[in-house]
Amino acid sequence: MVDAARHPKIEILAYSEVERVDGYIGNFRAVVTKKPRYVLEDRCNGCGACAKVCPIEVPNPFELDIAPRKAIDVPHGQAVPLVYAIDLDNCIHCYKCVTACGKLDAIDFSQQPETVELEVGSIIVATGFESFDPSVIPEYGYGRYPNVITALELERLANSAGPTVGRLIRPSDGKTPKSIALINCVGSRDSRYNEYCSGFCCMYTIKNALFLKQSYPDMDISIFYMDIRTPAKGYEEFYNRAREAGIRFIHGRPSQITEDPETHNLFVEAEDQALGQVIELETEMVCLSTAAIPRADTEQLASALTLSRSPGGFFMEYHPKLRPVDSPTDGVFLAGAAQGPKDIPACVAQGSAAAARAARVLSADTWEIEPIVARVWPEQCLSFQGKKCGICAQACPYGAITVIQGQAAQIAQAKCHGCGGCAAECPNDAITQDHFTDAQIMAQLRELLRDRPEEKIIAFMCHWCSYGGADNAGTSHFEYPPTSRGIRVMCSARMDQDFILEAFRRGAGMVLVSGCHPQDCHYITGQRVAAKRFDRVPRTLERIGINPERFRVEWISAAEGEKYARVITEMDAKLSSLDKAQLRAENERARPEIEKRLRRWKALPHMAELLAEEEPEKQEVPV
Amino acid sequence: MIRSEKLDRTFVEEILAEPGGEHLLTCWSCGTCAATCLVRRYDPAFNPRLILHKAGLGLRAEVLSSAEIWQCSACDACYPRCPKQIHISEVMKAIRNLAIRAGYEPPGPFAVVNETICSGCAVCTRACPYEAIDRVTKAVDGSERAVAQVNKTLCLHCGICVAACPSGAMSLEVFSDQELVTRMGAGGWLEQPGYLQGGSPQPRILAFICQWTIRSDSEWDKLAPFGDRVRVVNLPCSGRVDADLILLALTKGVDGVLVVGCKEGECHYRRGTYLGRGKVALLSEALKQMDIPAARVRFAELSSLDRYTLPRLINAISEEIMASVMVKV
Repeated sequence: MVDAARHPKIEILAYSEVERVDGYIGNFRAVVTKKPRYVLEDRCNGCGACAKVCPIEVPNPFELDIAPRKAIDVPHGQAVPLVYAIDLDNCIHCYKCVTACGKLDAIDFSQQPETVELEVGSIIVATGFESFDPSVIPEYGYGRYPNVITALELERLANSAGPTVGRLIRPSDGKTPKSIALINCVGSRDSRYNEYCSGFCCMYTIKNALFLKQSYPDMDISIFYMDIRTPAKGYEEFYNRAREAGIRFIHGRPSQITEDPETHNLFVEAEDQALGQVIELETEMVCLSTAAIPRADTEQLASALTLSRSPGGFFMEYHPKLRPVDSPTDGVFLAGAAQGPKDIPACVAQGSAAAARAARVLSADTWEIEPIVARVWPEQCLSFQGKKCGICAQACPYGAITVIQGQAAQIAQAKCHGCGGCAAECPNDAITQDHFTDAQIMAQLRELLRDRPEEKIIAFMCHWCSYGGADNAGTSHFEYPPTSRGIRVMCSARMDQDFILEAFRRGAGMVLVSGCHPQDCHYITGQRVAAKRFDRVPRTLERIGINPERFRVEWISAAEGEKYARVITEMDAKLSSLDKAQLRAENERARPEIEKRLRRWKALPHMAELLAEEEPEKQEVPV
Repeated sequence: MIRSEKLDRTFVEEILAEPGGEHLLTCWSCGTCAATCLVRRYDPAFNPRLILHKAGLGLRAEVLSSAEIWQCSACDACYPRCPKQIHISEVMKAIRNLAIRAGYEPPGPFAVVNETICSGCAVCTRACPYEAIDRVTKAVDGSERAVAQVNKTLCLHCGICVAACPSGAMSLEVFSDQELVTRMGAGGWLEQPGYLQGGSPQPRILAFICQWTIRSDSEWDKLAPFGDRVRVVNLPCSGRVDADLILLALTKGVDGVLVVGCKEGECHYRRGTYLGRGKVALLSEALKQMDIPAARVRFAELSSLDRYTLPRLINAISEEIMASVMVKV
């Protein structure tokens, strides 16, 4: 940290909040509020004379409220920058600090929050984690029994720079305990609180146990665990050392901790699975190894940076295997425990990787983006026409679209990833997607359904999963009927209801729409946008007189060739069971209604050209 | 040795298909349920984790024929603590359903009906927390009339029906009235003079304690200093306590009666604490009208997290009884 603070090209804005971030890769503009310290940064030399004279003592959050701090203080001894700050909520304005500061004159009570605008090329989010508060678990009694502490509190008590100068004491009587029980998985691997495994607790519990064993060789140390996870290099050896050092490992999750009201000793009850018997262990102290949880302000930062969050609440990476440090927003990278619980080696590795990814952006003069992006046809945009809309902005998973009422929607092309969700959602067809324009897809439909359309199954497939699934069916030589005709789009979100209706207008026998499974979507929420839309399709079809059984939705991954073959086989069987004459009659009956719905195409660019190519008898439609 | 042919996958699927059995396979055997389980404190052979583990392996015969599957009292003490939020009593119910279909019978003990005395009033039907009692019409002693009938697959032997029955027709196979009176008076305890009669330096207390509330043997050790002046009689549930038993003790000269149940919400038989507390409250009102100090009867709740609170409770009731006499003088 000190090196970073001294580096000529690094500026640290500590005690600051990110309010807003606009722009896109290479051109971000961040609005940051610097909170007032009431101490001038350029004058304070960190001597601490002010804290010495300050008469107010308040709980010190860095020491987890075990020790006091002054109303003017630094967070901790190694803080960077070493600038004191006044806690105005507790300050009594005695101005002793001002006198103590003397001619340095660093204290300024008139300081106001300052807003800074930064222009940056890339952003790394490394906001870390918080520790789970175990007082919500009634059976462990944290907060109720004085001698139940958390691992972080143990860390402070055992630290030679901590409030007890490294002597472990019991909060109830100030004596060093003769025995201690360490409990793993508190708040993690627990459906009531957090489903995920916090990952590094096993190792820090073993570290704490070994550390205590070294300092107090006679201490009786037990670790209660469900599973010991030591997957990284050298970890298993460390675990073996703890076993050999005589630390007692009990394979069982404690069900409850009770206290002797007189001695404040604790009784930990757990089933030792190896014995198949319940053990009641009397111990003088209990330390809970609490889970790592996302910081409370994760949501706020996520909305400022257009990041999404994984089920556990941590920031979500672009791809868990292939792009683990990238965020869905280009130019924003993730490092450390903000992305998920991880230990120090993993944090350092990810931090280095994020820095390297960020350097790629900073060192480039231009940045190549995907050619498949969405475009707005301004005159057609409802907002431009003075109506209230903004559906596209809601559908965009990347926050690339801004809609200002009265103006046409704006798409930041550097942010667009080309899912096409906006193009499909736009109620007035004002958005199209390069390389997958409405006209191109309509032209594909026209050609695929040129003859005997009622015998064909039109299969819309997303590029990443279902198309791969169909490909997998082919390369694996799975047999399925030759009646399906595939149309590839980038995401199921691109599959406009109009395409489905057009397929039926052209007489298709059946229509399949398929995409990734919900958790696999390459465009974060594309599948969800699509699923919501497809839910409404059967009702629409019924209203215009088409049997909704002729439409099917399936989520097929790239590995599920077998599923693709099965779905097509089933659909083909269904299609052959339907009477062809009746099917044609149904299509004919529905045509006028569909044409009425698709009338607005006439106004669309390229569409007129496409319509002109239609067969003579169909030239007048859509009207 | 367990050979692979014993690992019956269809058994697992049957449990999963049974209502309540859906979450069987999410268990990772952490043992929280086994360490929480109060049935297990009395019978170490009962281990919910092991039953779930065996069921998950598909050991059909071993699971269905075991006596343990019938022992779970569905108190759901383990459910809120389970890190996988498996409703274990529901899984147990699913396994029991399969056992019944396979022809196994629960081993008991159960509540039993004396049909000759039963008036068919159906008070027990409403009192039962498990809907285990039906009112049926059948031939009893030569005439056709309505009587109570216990469904053995549902009865968990809590005794709430016994305390509720106005005609004394209900009884338990263990913890019958007869048995409780015998235990109260063993060694001529009921016959000795009490504090109020000037025969004892300190009040003599009879404690009816729900068998699920005493959390471990260590709690009993803390009672030893009281010696003979405290007599503990275990009940299957505080809802089993009968006003007749309390009155019998008071008339025999016992100074105070303490009824201890589980903490509301932790009751092993769902609403036993609620019923037990209500009964004691009603009795206290009646005692007041008879000019007997209400302090002589008291109901207390013990949480499974409380430790060494039983001596405190006994001291408290003793002091109150002594204080009530002093006020009179």
